[in-house]
Amino acid sequence: MKKPLLCLALLAVVAAPVFAYVNDALSFAHEAAVPYIKKGFSVREDAWGGDLGVKEQQAVTAQLFKGNEYWFCLGTDVKGAVVTVNIYDSKGRLVEAESWQKGRFAGARIVPEKTGTYYAIITVVKSPQERTGWAVVYAYK
Amino acid sequence: MTKNILPILAAVSLALPGSVSAQDPPESVDLSKFPAANVEDVVVPVPSEIFVVLDKLGSPNWRGELRSSLGKNTGNRAQVALLLGTVIAEGFIAVEAEDPEKVQEIGREVLELAEAINVRKAVIARSKSISEKAKSKDWLAVRREFDGALQDVRGAMQELGDDELAQLVSIGGWLRGTQVLTSIVSKNYSADGAELLFQPDLLTYFTEKLDGLKSTRLGKDPLVAQTRKTLAAIRPLIGKEDGSKISQGAVERINKLTEDNVTAITTPKDS
Repeated sequence: MKKPLLCLALLAVVAAPVFAYVNDALSFAHEAAVPYIKKGFSVREDAWGGDLGVKEQQAVTAQLFKGNEYWFCLGTDVKGAVVTVNIYDSKGRLVEAESWQKGRFAGARIVPEKTGTYYAIITVVKSPQERTGWAVVYAYK
Repeated sequence: MTKNILPILAAVSLALPGSVSAQDPPESVDLSKFPAANVEDVVVPVPSEIFVVLDKLGSPNWRGELRSSLGKNTGNRAQVALLLGTVIAEGFIAVEAEDPEKVQEIGREVLELAEAINVRKAVIARSKSISEKAKSKDWLAVRREFDGALQDVRGAMQELGDDELAQLVSIGGWLRGTQVLTSIVSKNYSADGAELLFQPDLLTYFTEKLDGLKSTRLGKDPLVAQTRKTLAAIRPLIGKEDGSKISQGAVERINKLTEDNVTAITTPKDS
């Protein structure tokens, strides 16, 4: 899905507004990350994205390194939607240090105790639309 | 459309973190309930995600890790893509070394290699920005530009239908980043440093991409074949479970494997 996000984002430039939601969700995700940039985090240019129905979830895979601190920042283009992101380890245990949620924005912080694979689980809690576009970026320091 | 919403968001974002408590997520989930098709591809870490940890563990000699030659473009598209990945990775090393001249040289080389695979237009602005920010020694910004250059190159390749070539750029960068990681950890071994090599899903992801190449020409390319062998040889050396201890011998072996692979990419025999 990461790849489709990139492809769709490129298409959106020339074929707006069909894929405009992709760019918009990504913009919101980047906006959610702004406060962490001010705290010295570097936001990755790579991102994940897609769309989900209400109550649907999606897991995205990330290779994280012990010694770093990460923020995963989620955004959606749908006004009135509520989305969440939470971080689990490879055994399915909740490992985030903290998380927050505010309507179309959400964030989760993790300080990995081990280097390895982690899963950010995206949930569309509610939404006025059948499908809700979303995007996640992460920042590290 | 995106631009129109930015001024509004700029104000909103200031009040985001900490302002609202999260809903209580479950303490554990059954990952098997997430169908394989729904589990996303791994986002490939950029070398600096590892390098900043190495900086915390010690004081690596980043200048000593920089290569004097960035390698030669043979015109073979697989080689150019892999080489481009190694050069962008070199950019991250030069940022750690805080070497503005090297960063500018790398920025120019990125542009030349991008031209060789028809994606120059995608990185012109990045190359210029890399040069400007290196001159002003804004290293965080330079790091961000190299990350952006990597994504721009890959995006432009995908736009041209060269998805498979785009993967080679990522793999080239990973190989060079891993070579440097293992070089540094070998010189001052620590279990924490070695643990940074525990990247099993990333290795699986790269291997699947190489095994699934649809282009026969790319699939049979000698450099691609060597890279496939390198990944297969590294896999048993990084342990089986999270927290597995990776020995100094394993680190040194991975260093040799990646060094040989990077050398084959940067100084191909037919050059």
